[in-house]
Amino acid sequence: MIRFTLRRLLSGAVLLVVVTSASFFLAHLAIGDPTPGLLGDSATPAQRAALREQLGLDRPLMTQFWDWLSHAVRGDFGTSWRNFQPVSDQIELRVPVTLSIVVAATLLAAVVGLVVGVATGLNPGGVLARVLKLASVVLFALPGFWVSLMLVMAFAIKLQWFPAVGYVPLSHSGTQWLRSITLPSIALALGAIVMIAEQLRNGFQEVNNQDFVRTLRARGLSARRVTVHVLRNASPAALTVLAVMFVGLLGGAIVVEIIFNLPGIGSLTQSASQIGDIPVLLGLTVVTVVFVVLVNFLLDLVLGWVNPKVREK
Amino acid sequence: MQRIWRATLVAVVALALAACTNAGASSGDGPVEKIRIGTLLDVTSWDPAQADIGFDGPYLSAVYDPLVALDEKSQPIPALATSWTYSPDRLTLTMRLRSGVTFTDGKSFDAAAAVANLNHLKAGVRSGQTYANVADVRRVDAHTIALRLKKKDDALLYNMGLGRSWMASPAAIKAKSLVARPVGSGPYTYDQGDSTPGSQYAFTRKPQHWDRRTYPFESVRVLPIADPTASFNAMLSGQLDVAYANAADTPHAKRNGWNIASKVATWVGIQFTDRTGGQLKPLGDVRVRRAINHAFDGAAILKSVGQGAGVATNQVFPAGDPAYDASLNDRYAFDLEKAKQLMAEAGYADGFRVTMPMSSIFQPWQPAVQQILGQIGIKVTWKNLSPADYQKNAATYPMFVAVVALDSNAAASVDGRIASQQWFNPNPSTEAFPELHGLLGKIGATTGKEQLAVIRRLNAEVTDQAWQDVWYQADNTYFSKKGITVTPITGMMFPTLRFLQRG
Repeated sequence: MIRFTLRRLLSGAVLLVVVTSASFFLAHLAIGDPTPGLLGDSATPAQRAALREQLGLDRPLMTQFWDWLSHAVRGDFGTSWRNFQPVSDQIELRVPVTLSIVVAATLLAAVVGLVVGVATGLNPGGVLARVLKLASVVLFALPGFWVSLMLVMAFAIKLQWFPAVGYVPLSHSGTQWLRSITLPSIALALGAIVMIAEQLRNGFQEVNNQDFVRTLRARGLSARRVTVHVLRNASPAALTVLAVMFVGLLGGAIVVEIIFNLPGIGSLTQSASQIGDIPVLLGLTVVTVVFVVLVNFLLDLVLGWVNPKVREK
Repeated sequence: MQRIWRATLVAVVALALAACTNAGASSGDGPVEKIRIGTLLDVTSWDPAQADIGFDGPYLSAVYDPLVALDEKSQPIPALATSWTYSPDRLTLTMRLRSGVTFTDGKSFDAAAAVANLNHLKAGVRSGQTYANVADVRRVDAHTIALRLKKKDDALLYNMGLGRSWMASPAAIKAKSLVARPVGSGPYTYDQGDSTPGSQYAFTRKPQHWDRRTYPFESVRVLPIADPTASFNAMLSGQLDVAYANAADTPHAKRNGWNIASKVATWVGIQFTDRTGGQLKPLGDVRVRRAINHAFDGAAILKSVGQGAGVATNQVFPAGDPAYDASLNDRYAFDLEKAKQLMAEAGYADGFRVTMPMSSIFQPWQPAVQQILGQIGIKVTWKNLSPADYQKNAATYPMFVAVVALDSNAAASVDGRIASQQWFNPNPSTEAFPELHGLLGKIGATTGKEQLAVIRRLNAEVTDQAWQDVWYQADNTYFSKKGITVTPITGMMFPTLRFLQRG
């Protein structure tokens, strides 16, 4: 297990260095001179030159890269070119927002997906199974921004149960925090719920027909205990989907954060891209890669716990 | 399984309880005490030297006092500078300063503080241009300063009032701590504990402030909302009292009984970066530039793309400005036949080819440009760029579709839109146009009404030379709930707090 853990951590670190290095050069190649975007339309060529010098953009690219990398390994991602604040401070403020909605959406998807998946797996021909099938088609067809807008119109504008925009940190008020993340989390989770439920139902049906399940029933185990055994064997595929979903939801959060005006890493990515704020973009890349590596690592651990065969492999 | 059901039940109950405690309280029927403002962009920086004029006004005007403010007609009015005088040669500006003002760190505002601030602003990457003509600033006495100018600058006071003279604590400037936290003497204190950076900023009115009556609201919240739909939804759900609006939503705003305030903010059209033919020979012929001006029906583009929110005109001086001349709007009335005739007279009856940049922001106008230029024989090859690249590279092409901010000060418009080198106008080449060059010289040598008369002549000359192909001036629009009025100011993309009042 220790070797397994070390191997995964090492490959994660290599991935992190490769992705961020590639991002550094691609960003500089794509954005080039960011000063017009940063200074606006009233800037003179002299002001732009002064800013380039201030940002260190007049140095060779490799010098800039080593400078950035040597600071980044110590957790210092430099300062934003837009507001000159430390990038790590901005990311520190933004990560809890995105994590709030992504974790809430993942939990929602896991719990509701599990309940619906098991219910439809136990009764494949039932009404719920048919509703799930229909929902999977409809929810995949509907764009996320449309679903978000419908939720806002119904629950924020019409009923006024939840805010249409904005985020309240958990440290300010638990209740207001929950209100501020509810609609965005639901908007993010809907597609994932259907996907996990479908995955679980298929796995459930497959395992349900296997010999060991018949044997368990023949030995007189209660229906509930048989279901637990079936679920344990059917869950790896759903867990993999859940992990992939988590990473996908990080990307999907951009649209939801814009519609609900949440100050998360999605909206920061969008604004930093628009003005070519490379230090912020690179900091966000590092954070996202770390999340992806961590989630995959945790998935491997959980899969190993659920099914010991995975560990042996 | 039972545990899962139980957890689900607990979550649903918690959610229901959370939903019941609706915080989106409306302002009620009494006088509005709290105001929640939705603006387009987050604060760029709390450091006035690094802030933008455009959308930073509501944030910075809450916590800082300016030396000079603007009134509703964009005229400079006293603030921390209580009066000012120019020397006869207009090369020294002496300002008398307000006494009894303290910053939130307890330091006093005086001449030394003003000098430290102006030197900081002069060195600032974003604020420096305002003080480009200032040679130095010195303390005359405890409450008087003098700005010595390298050359006469008739736009200086206007630019200072626009948002380039916010005064911060000199101690904070020295400590370079303004980037993280504002330390000013403004009418409100920044409530950092109640704010969520990037989402909302809370300000509480000071019990005592020298200009307290100008700021009627007890508390102010500013929410940066980049998406117009999200902003409109926030108004509908009662989370906002004032919003930077999309003109397309105006009919809905009317149905909701909101106040609607609009004023021209930008000009929209084609910017020529080559007027001498150095890069693209045909553009050096005024008849070609005039032909392009005649070919576009600005009023129709304003209606179809600009939702009718603006003024169809061919000028870069804002509609209603003293330098604006309504009679010039007929100079290039839409006339395709005349445009073709001018092209033929210039020797381009078969047109010519031009490469123009394009990005997603400007795509709404692309089909019209393609079609109209095609009708007079100009074949466009589009070079697609990202929005960031567009601002960087558009001016390297001989002509491009442009949306350029307007200034509500005639001298500032002359300098910023016509005479000086800007990103969108890298080659003003005014010396190649003797009449125009002469008028610019006269503007530099005159003041007041005499100067305004020359600027109006310059406007006519620029129009005659088809300096740009302006289709229309587009409005900035603001919605506000009943009981609150917004006075838009051309030059400020979002007005400072003094322009948000009860009423």
